[in-house]
Amino acid sequence: MTRKWRGAVVPVTLLVLAEIYCFATNLESDSLARPSDIAVAAVQALLDGEILRSTAQTLWAAAAGLGIGFTIGLSVGVLLGLFAIFNDLMEFSIEAFRPIPSVALIPVAMLLLGFGYGMEISIVAFATTWPILILTRAAISGIEPRLIEVARALRFGLFARIWKIVLPAALPRIFVALRLAIGVALVVAVTVEISSNPLGLGYAMMSAQQSLHPDLMFALLFWTGLVGWAVNAGLLQLQRRFFGPAAAVEVLP
Amino acid sequence: MTAIVKNLQPRPPASSNLISFQGVDLELAGRPILEGIDLAIRPGEFLCVVGPSGCGKTSLLRLIAGLFLPTRGQVHYDGKLVTGPSRELAIVFQDYGKALLPWRTVAGNVSLALEAMHVPRSERANRIASLLAKVGLTHHAEKFPNQLSGGMQQRLQIARCLAQEPKVLLMDEPFGALDAITRQTLQDELLRIVADSGATAFFVTHDLEEAIYLGDRVIAMKANPGRVTETFEVDLPRPRDQLSTPELPEFLRLRRALFDFIKDAEA
Amino acid sequence: MKRLFRNPGRFIRFILSFFVGAFFIYLWQLCADLRLVSPVFLPGPDRAWAALVNGLMRGELGHQILGTVERMLYGWVLASLLGVALGAMIGISKVAREYLTPTLDWIRPMPASAIVPVAISLLGLTDAMVLAIISFGALWPMLLATVHGFAAVEPRLHEVSRALGLSRWSVVWKIALPNAMPDILAGMRIGLTVSLILTVVGEMLGSRDGLGFAILLAARSFHSADLFAGVILFGIIGYISGQLMSLAERHLLRWRQRG
Repeated sequence: MTRKWRGAVVPVTLLVLAEIYCFATNLESDSLARPSDIAVAAVQALLDGEILRSTAQTLWAAAAGLGIGFTIGLSVGVLLGLFAIFNDLMEFSIEAFRPIPSVALIPVAMLLLGFGYGMEISIVAFATTWPILILTRAAISGIEPRLIEVARALRFGLFARIWKIVLPAALPRIFVALRLAIGVALVVAVTVEISSNPLGLGYAMMSAQQSLHPDLMFALLFWTGLVGWAVNAGLLQLQRRFFGPAAAVEVLP
Repeated sequence: MTAIVKNLQPRPPASSNLISFQGVDLELAGRPILEGIDLAIRPGEFLCVVGPSGCGKTSLLRLIAGLFLPTRGQVHYDGKLVTGPSRELAIVFQDYGKALLPWRTVAGNVSLALEAMHVPRSERANRIASLLAKVGLTHHAEKFPNQLSGGMQQRLQIARCLAQEPKVLLMDEPFGALDAITRQTLQDELLRIVADSGATAFFVTHDLEEAIYLGDRVIAMKANPGRVTETFEVDLPRPRDQLSTPELPEFLRLRRALFDFIKDAEA
Repeated sequence: MKRLFRNPGRFIRFILSFFVGAFFIYLWQLCADLRLVSPVFLPGPDRAWAALVNGLMRGELGHQILGTVERMLYGWVLASLLGVALGAMIGISKVAREYLTPTLDWIRPMPASAIVPVAISLLGLTDAMVLAIISFGALWPMLLATVHGFAAVEPRLHEVSRALGLSRWSVVWKIALPNAMPDILAGMRIGLTVSLILTVVGEMLGSRDGLGFAILLAARSFHSADLFAGVILFGIIGYISGQLMSLAERHLLRWRQRG
């Protein structure tokens, strides 16, 4: 019982100490804020809908980009995993493209697409394609060869083979890849917003900082953390429910 | 606490025994594992323990090793109360794959024991070489454990234990996961090593023939709760031989007796 | 590379895949030549390459690469030292884990770049700010991986150390640290990627000299060839750092390879 609450000790102590410190020094700062002021700012921004609007923008860009990245990554990953020849032929191209840091494409997307959803979505798509592609490929080539032989023995065509045997067998690991990619999508979306794009939570944080509202800035920071945590926790729950121990392996990108 | 106080009554273990159990009970997480163990092991003896799974064979070994402490009663080693592990007792685990350091070479794994004993660096190389020679791994010194077969990994674990220069070798089904031929070879090597070093051996196994072949004495246990129910003196000549020893009438008699016992214990 | 040439089949396949890559570059050239996209926005590979060579010859690109790589490495090394040390302390102690893991789990999915505004408001648009966000962002993957590696020591090995009577320090140094090594290296690899990303972000926001700011300027002034040259360089930096990391992993984890 008490054990469960040990995790709360550190953050609560830190918050209380920060509050006491700010109260004692009568803090007037453009870069720091009292925890209680942050809480007030968070409630205000929640009530006037600003936080929710920014959240929706970020989530939409992340989801749309992920949708594109997932589709491309999955289909290419399945092809590469199924046919060794494709994998061999594409090796150089994949190894040449993959190391480009996604944020380095921000200026390119800016130039080609201008500011807005388009550039953010395309960068998220680029960033999420790789983990999906690589992990799908690994999931498919890791399928028990006996299963593929069963599919051959049953004389399934290519699509039946993919649909009835390959995808279901690789599904738990593909879901792990998806979970990872959702994390990447959120991070990249916020990063794009912080570094240039006037949309979403990242931009809201930047403008709170520039207009010298540290309370709102910290409120948005904690909210962003909360959104990331909630998405991750929800996905973990889904994963446990549908795949159980089969997907329990933690995959590092 | 009261149990310990009660057992403080002077009751010194007989001086001829290296290890002795006096009225030992063991509970783990409130569950009784062992009950009423009274056991004495003579120095230089090769003692084998058999019994159905779950009878507490391994717990008995861990009590001697000091990895478990008795809930009631006392375990003495060399006249002293066992309160924790000692380097004079070496443990050979069954799961050699987990008990070796995968990131150290064969030589490095043996060196770990020497480092623990604070053997100066300059002496280690020679000691390692002679230990590896003893278990036939001389030509594999620079390999990593997962490049070795199961039998070789178990030899390596034995070499590491010998590096401790132990007075007692505690072995927990060390050959249980090996194939029959490897097992026979290792049994003979173990007998030779134990005879050479004069160490006392405590050998847990579920293989009745292995117990008779190796032991001077075999104790048989029953489960729920674990207790020692019978002792068999093995009066077979040494050195033993894989071909002729199992054909001796005494071997067959013991095999029969133990077999009946186990059938009864598992019923 | 050595392994590549020992196996002729693999070598031939690599050459083939190289030609496939060349074909993609040819398609890109075709797109540019046919003016499917205006050359103001999309340079052909020829112009991007020329800009790259030109920039390197004049020495200004070299200067920017150096600045970027230096920043990335400083931040990464700082994060590695801190992350491994803190992670080891938390990972070894069960009590510390109970108190801190929930907090760490909460921070884990937080986008590392979200602290950029905080760093700017505390440190301003300075080099210190850029270094702070790089090392702060790269700290978490290393910290979490190290905690995991130190916490997940095979129980049997703990018993072996008890039986051998190893000192607490020996257990940390000889058992726990090497046991955590695969996790630490995996964390350092992620940390390296994160460092590069945050270097780009930091340079773009902080207007520091460096490749990140250079490509932003190139985009603003519609110098698309310079922009693509910069992106190619980022790819090369990412590739080389990843390869060096693999090399280190292969050497340090050679005990994992089966014989």
